[in-house]
Amino acid sequence: MSVGWSHLLELRNVAKHFGGLYALSGLDMHVDPGEIVSVIGPNGAGKSTMFNVVTGLYGPDEGDVLFEGQSIVGFAPNRITRMGIARTFQTVHLFPNMTVLENAMVGQHTRSSSGVFGAILRPPGTRREEERIRERAKGSLEFFGSRLAGYRQEQPAFSLSYANRRRLEMARALATDPVLLMLDEPTAGMNPRETIELRDHIVRMRDQLGLTVLVIEHDMRVVKGVSDRVVALDYGRKIAEGSYQDVASNPQVIEAYLGTKAAG
Amino acid sequence: MDPIPVRSAVRAGVVGSLVLVYVALVGLIERFADLKLVGEQVTLGRLLLFLPPFAVAYVVARPRVVAGERRVAGPRAGLVAGAVSGVVTSAVFGVAVVLADRFDVVRIRHVFIAATPGLIDFVTFERGVVVGIMILLVLGLASGALGGLAKTGDRRLTRPLAAGVSTVILLGLLQRIVPIAMQELGIEPDFLYSPRTRSLTWGGAIGLLVLAAGADVLWNRSGPETQRRIRATMIEQPAARVGILLIVLAVLVALPLLLGSVISQVLGSVMIFVLLGLGLNIVVGYAGLLDLGYVAFYAFGAYMMALLTGATLNTTTGSSAAAFSLDLNFFIAIWLVVVLAAGVGLLIGAPVLRLRGDYLAIVTLGLGEIVRVLTESRWLQPLVGGPQGMRGVTDAAIAGYSFRNPQHFYYLALAFVLLAVFVSWRLAASRIGRAWNAMREDEQVADAMGVGTTRYKLLAFAMGGAVGSLGGALFAVQIGSLTPASFQILVSITALAVVILGGLGSIPGVVAGAVVLIGLPGLLREFEEFRLLIYGAVLVAIMVLRPQGLLPNVRRMRELHEEEEAQDEWVHRFADEAAAAAAVPGGTLGVEEEDLT
Repeated sequence: MSVGWSHLLELRNVAKHFGGLYALSGLDMHVDPGEIVSVIGPNGAGKSTMFNVVTGLYGPDEGDVLFEGQSIVGFAPNRITRMGIARTFQTVHLFPNMTVLENAMVGQHTRSSSGVFGAILRPPGTRREEERIRERAKGSLEFFGSRLAGYRQEQPAFSLSYANRRRLEMARALATDPVLLMLDEPTAGMNPRETIELRDHIVRMRDQLGLTVLVIEHDMRVVKGVSDRVVALDYGRKIAEGSYQDVASNPQVIEAYLGTKAAG
Repeated sequence: MDPIPVRSAVRAGVVGSLVLVYVALVGLIERFADLKLVGEQVTLGRLLLFLPPFAVAYVVARPRVVAGERRVAGPRAGLVAGAVSGVVTSAVFGVAVVLADRFDVVRIRHVFIAATPGLIDFVTFERGVVVGIMILLVLGLASGALGGLAKTGDRRLTRPLAAGVSTVILLGLLQRIVPIAMQELGIEPDFLYSPRTRSLTWGGAIGLLVLAAGADVLWNRSGPETQRRIRATMIEQPAARVGILLIVLAVLVALPLLLGSVISQVLGSVMIFVLLGLGLNIVVGYAGLLDLGYVAFYAFGAYMMALLTGATLNTTTGSSAAAFSLDLNFFIAIWLVVVLAAGVGLLIGAPVLRLRGDYLAIVTLGLGEIVRVLTESRWLQPLVGGPQGMRGVTDAAIAGYSFRNPQHFYYLALAFVLLAVFVSWRLAASRIGRAWNAMREDEQVADAMGVGTTRYKLLAFAMGGAVGSLGGALFAVQIGSLTPASFQILVSITALAVVILGGLGSIPGVVAGAVVLIGLPGLLREFEEFRLLIYGAVLVAIMVLRPQGLLPNVRRMRELHEEEEAQDEWVHRFADEAAAAAAVPGGTLGVEEEDLT
């Protein structure tokens, strides 16, 4: 860790618009090492846009994004991943025709280095690296217990159940050996039991793997259960920040979710 | 009782007759009127006359989905529907024949040059229009009924018969090759192939049919367990794998010795297209970048080999030295060509990095054309000879052993094919192959997972270019002189057809594709003028019947599998429901409403 930075991830006055529509405007927020931060907000509040700006899929129109004190604006997504930010997507994006294990092995791409000659001549170093990639990928699949273990690892990803696809996406992100893990609605489409299970996984990601987690979540049971801090967005702005209790009782947040009448 | 789909049988029959009229008018039938397959009687022309009713009936009798329910036609329905469609095919064709005869066939020759009195004679069995059409109808009915039965009959009977008949037709078509090989092996071929007609003898044909059908019966009676064991042994046992590999190698080495110079020439061309296919397979099959200008690498490899090995420019008066030329040994020059071609791959890849799919295809198409135009241009004439081209490319001789000889060239090409196969295989099964795969499946996600897509796209173009240039360089050695005419866009299309026919991403598929698209037309010279027609028909058939290709790679097979579509549909429904649930604020937040107040 270098000196001179306090926040692991910091967004300074970030704005992003699509045509006339401001998805983000003047957003300031930060994530500190070892925190689990939840981002909530109604649909269209800019949560996923914020993820895409941080991970380099979009460039911000204004403002700066700092990771470990260094601006990462303009970096290619793969470079940002290499620096230690991994993510999942709101709608599951796997490599559907690769096997479950191969999906996770792709995650290790950025932590390995063998090139064309290694591939063709397959010297001992490449073999060892390939073995290490495989072990690391298996390890990240086994984070989810028996869900992604055994015969499933050799099956194509599209054959998985919906919940398992979500788990595989998280395992693939874990396999990139990240510092900061960004989960976009990890419990969407999961049943209540799976949701509870996943809530425990998110806590374990920090406690066992030592990750910092930034999570977009709609399910308030999960938000309540995991968050050290909650950030609420609406119309691309931060409308509240603090502990779950503070944010959940904030009138602006209730209004954003329920409309003025219900709040009144 | 099964309902008989009379309407679709009639409709299919009309379509079949149109195909038949087309096949007759382009001259395919008359062209093959004298190509005897079995004895004097069975000619390819006659077979073509009855293939459409047979095929149409086969299609009509396939299982169909009615109101979500899959209905398999029984043998009776298959027989009747097949017969109806077959007789309609022949009848409509018969009407066309009568019309052509009435209006005097010579008058339509202005448009259809293949419509000759001889054609009319042939399709009416030389018995006059009336009797001829009667025979056509009866035989159309019979082949339609057979086609229907082939689809709906008892598989235990139809499968061995199909195996037998296709073996006989295949060996009948290979009448110029198999007898030569048999003679080289010291077997007198006369019992199988009649020396007079060159076709299969009736005895030989029946023997082959019985043999092939018997083999099929034996294989299927051995039961799924035995079959699985045999397959597993062949794939998993190291000894068996090495054994199979050695046998394949031995056959590959023996081929030109058995088949002689003419056919070795064809095999050499097959090898060149295997190299092109393998290279293009890296770009299209592995990395998913549709490159329609692949001929650029072929041309680059060929001309670079010419320049590096001291070829001269053709001029009207003789030849003159090229503006730049080295006099290297082939075995040094080839590696230089490969390295430079990889560089050209980077150059071609760089401007198209941001393009995807259709746009990439169109731009690469243009880049391929640019290379051809350059070879013809005045500007590069001092270097590559313009339209007149170059001559005197090295024959790669080692101690006087020239590789220009087709039988020798085959071995040179084989060596490079084996090298390219090895490289393709190792690349596919590596970290790089995995990165390409991920990029092909979802470029943006691959990028977000840490795969540098720019780098891997360029790498795919470089590797694809390097392998493709081998094909070009060997082509230059094979024919010794180059003109721009050899580097038309057709090369790109053929290479792509080779890859697609065999199965994208599959190495055995590339070999199969090259054998079918380059080898068969080369062996059956009668097909030469219909080559493009047959390419088109074969590709359409493959896309409809077997979109994953002849020998698909496992992953691609999955990709096109129905299961995936079903799964995706299910997931989308699920995701939509989830999104709908999430969109209702009370839906998820409602649980916690007490906390909020």
